[in-house]
Amino acid sequence: MSIEIRGVSRNFGEFAALKDVNLLVETGELVALLGPSGSGKTTLLRIIAGLEYPTAGTILFHGEDTIRRDARSRQVGFVFQHYALFRHMTVFENIAFGLRVRPRALRPSKADIEARVMELLKLVQLEGLAQRFPSQLSGGQRQRVALARALAVEPKVLLLDEPFGALDARVRQELRSWLRRLHDELHITSVFVTHDQEEALEVADRVVVMNKGQIEQVGSPEDVYENPANPFVMNFLGSVNLFHARIHDGEAHIGPSSVPVTAAQDASTIGYVRPHELDILRQHNGEPTIEAVIKHIHAVGPTVRIELARRDNGELMEAELTRERFADLALKAGEEVHVKARKLQVFTEDYSI
Amino acid sequence: MAVSLAQPQTRSLPPRRILPGFGLSLGYTLLYLCLLVLIPLSTVFIRAGTLSHTQFWAIIDDPRTVAAFKLTFGASALAALVNAFFGLLVAWTLTRYSFPGRRVIDGLVDLPFALPTAVAGICLSAVYADNGWVGRVLAPHHIHVAYTQAGIFVALVFIGLPFVVRTVQPVLQDLETDVEEAAASLGATRGQIFARILLPTLFPAVLTGFTLAFARALGEYGSVIFISNNIPLRGEIVPKLIMDKLDQFDYAGAAAIAVIMLLASFALLLLINLLQWWSRKRLGMA
Amino acid sequence: MRSEKIEGSTIRPRLATEALPIRILLILVTLIFLGLFLGLPLAAVFTQAFAAGSGPYFAALKDPNTVSAIKLTLLTAAVSVPLNVLFGLAAAWAIAKFEFWGKNLLLTLIDLPFAVSPVIAGMIFVLLLGKFSPLGGWLDAHQIKIIFAVPGIILATTFVTFPFVARELLPVMQAQGVEEEQAALVLGATGWQSFWRVTLPNIKWGLIYGVILCNARAMGEFGAVSVVSGKIMGQTNTLPLQVEAFNDDYNFVGAFAAASLLALLGLVTLVIKSFVEWRTARHEQ
Repeated sequence: MSIEIRGVSRNFGEFAALKDVNLLVETGELVALLGPSGSGKTTLLRIIAGLEYPTAGTILFHGEDTIRRDARSRQVGFVFQHYALFRHMTVFENIAFGLRVRPRALRPSKADIEARVMELLKLVQLEGLAQRFPSQLSGGQRQRVALARALAVEPKVLLLDEPFGALDARVRQELRSWLRRLHDELHITSVFVTHDQEEALEVADRVVVMNKGQIEQVGSPEDVYENPANPFVMNFLGSVNLFHARIHDGEAHIGPSSVPVTAAQDASTIGYVRPHELDILRQHNGEPTIEAVIKHIHAVGPTVRIELARRDNGELMEAELTRERFADLALKAGEEVHVKARKLQVFTEDYSI
Repeated sequence: MAVSLAQPQTRSLPPRRILPGFGLSLGYTLLYLCLLVLIPLSTVFIRAGTLSHTQFWAIIDDPRTVAAFKLTFGASALAALVNAFFGLLVAWTLTRYSFPGRRVIDGLVDLPFALPTAVAGICLSAVYADNGWVGRVLAPHHIHVAYTQAGIFVALVFIGLPFVVRTVQPVLQDLETDVEEAAASLGATRGQIFARILLPTLFPAVLTGFTLAFARALGEYGSVIFISNNIPLRGEIVPKLIMDKLDQFDYAGAAAIAVIMLLASFALLLLINLLQWWSRKRLGMA
Repeated sequence: MRSEKIEGSTIRPRLATEALPIRILLILVTLIFLGLFLGLPLAAVFTQAFAAGSGPYFAALKDPNTVSAIKLTLLTAAVSVPLNVLFGLAAAWAIAKFEFWGKNLLLTLIDLPFAVSPVIAGMIFVLLLGKFSPLGGWLDAHQIKIIFAVPGIILATTFVTFPFVARELLPVMQAQGVEEEQAALVLGATGWQSFWRVTLPNIKWGLIYGVILCNARAMGEFGAVSVVSGKIMGQTNTLPLQVEAFNDDYNFVGAFAAASLLALLGLVTLVIKSFVEWRTARHEQ
């Protein structure tokens, strides 16, 4: 089932949490709402679920306006950030709840409920824990119970609020790929909220980057990462080097070097380069480069991060090299090198972060 | 009140409350509150309002009324003061020291909350009468408790006893020992630590407990009438005076005195709320 | 008035406690104070009740006036406690689960009956419904007896026990938050289903706590009931009023026998109260 968000705004008193948000989530998609805290992503998710009402605008499920339907009748699965498991019920009872509260005519038989719960427990890999209480489970297990409970009612839409937010780093990594596989298996239209760009880029089909109640960019993970629409997206999706640049004759000039850009106007602007788009050369090879001094080398992990200071104005920048490239160059702290930007992003629209 | 009930509804917007039952539960709460508490309470003010100024003051200024007010406020203040001191002591020993029977005694502190006041009254008068367990010891020294003003004081100490203990106890429990250890390591004696560190921390709670005990004592009726001689001008508390006026169908007189009592109670209720807010703020729990 | 208790030992570091003699002295003073004001009176009820042996004690309990007083006391509690439970649930639900204007004022108003002297609590119903009031005149003309009759006793009792359940439920419900109810809602539960299956099991112990305190006060109320009761033996005397009636008649065995029942009620209340506190404290750990 597709979800269409049409012109949704939400004010809390003076504060505008959402400003005229429009978005279409296709059937079967897994979409991430990504943004810093206060960007309105959770409010948007809760509005989709019917746990919050928009000040203006509406939500359409499969083309049908849901705004008059309360949370009860929307048939969404919602996984709360802190799970909101019923603490006085066992895992089994938690998962069975949604089936048990159905009107008598629609309620499955006792045996069917049991079969369904067992099937779900198997799906979330918690077969042996049916009789445990939530307080006897680990964070990751609670997360999976919450998911099984949401799936028990066979929702057309699955909504997850910071699904991995309350877990420690290792469990989070495991659950991420597990969730992706689960989605590939079930194909329920899913939306999840996160503030972790890695999580969004790794798990989602499409990423919706939000800031200050508005959508900054929508696209595939590659798309938003490679072609960020504005400095906010660029910044939020990973570390980035900032250069003061002048645009002149279709080229952005940074110090002595220049990079061709599509911007037409002559203006002073800021150029953005991701650390891995910076290359380090020992010798000047005729190309425009920036001279710099190596300050620190962090050689832990799959790549090597190098901190440099520009010779002309002392500004710091960060480059990321592969281990092979680092070994070829045999760099040491204090050495003078030439830095080349392979790819420079310039946003001509006046934009403040 | 009607303001909060109204849910602004425009045609395009659904109700703004997500969980169901707001209108029903608040509506019922307000209805019940009005019918059972607010409307009945207002009758006191309405009835007293039918009196002229001079009539009103004649009732309040009557020597019997003045004596009752003096006795009630005096005995309540004294009892609350004794409870403030001993309440702090009881809370201190119950939270800080372990001794046999501590848990049972701790539970027993709430007895005045659970024991009907009439039972408290009849028991206290039995114990403190001249032939009672305690009265027997005191009588030869010409100390008489039951059926004197001292008896009223004893009854008010009894009913106010749990208040200071139960307000001070949680604060004492939350107190970190390392503060005291730090003070001790800086050379403070136990007495200095108590006076300069513990007492200032506990003071808001003691004051709250004192006010609660005082407020409770002001209105107390059941336990006092059993142990007091109830003689006008000497052993008659204000609630007993109101009772007498009601028995004589002097409703206006009863209402006039009740207005003063209610105003005092409301002022104390306000004070208690302020004190609790203040002590929460002081302890950084706001 | 719930208190959290320290579990286990109270062994404190040497620097943060007093010398042994001081400790012993403080404990002794505490015990003497509590003994004089709590222990002796409590012991007195039972010794006085059995002063003439168990025969007169049980005879006093079988006195038709005592029996009728017990029945009236039970009836009063059986009506006023459920009324206040219903109110407590509604008030706690509205206040804990929703935001609205005037909430703090409402909280203060709920506490109001605690601040009112029992005698005044009884008096307001006499003023409102007694013979000399407009409403009372109408009731009188229609042969409806409220004041100096059982309905008046129930009204006054309900007034003085009004805040108990709401006061105990509120903090529990507030601590519970709204997420579990929201979860129930998205899973398709109706408001009632969510209340019975999710909310109520969660506040169960707070409710029990409120009910036993409310019940103890309802059965033991003296001042307010004293005003609105006609004090007709065998008809409008509750058990506490019967204690007074026997006492005034110098029937001390009867008075203390009736009082012993109420003292027993108080003790049972304390035991249940301690049990609930102990259970909640253990649960929170």
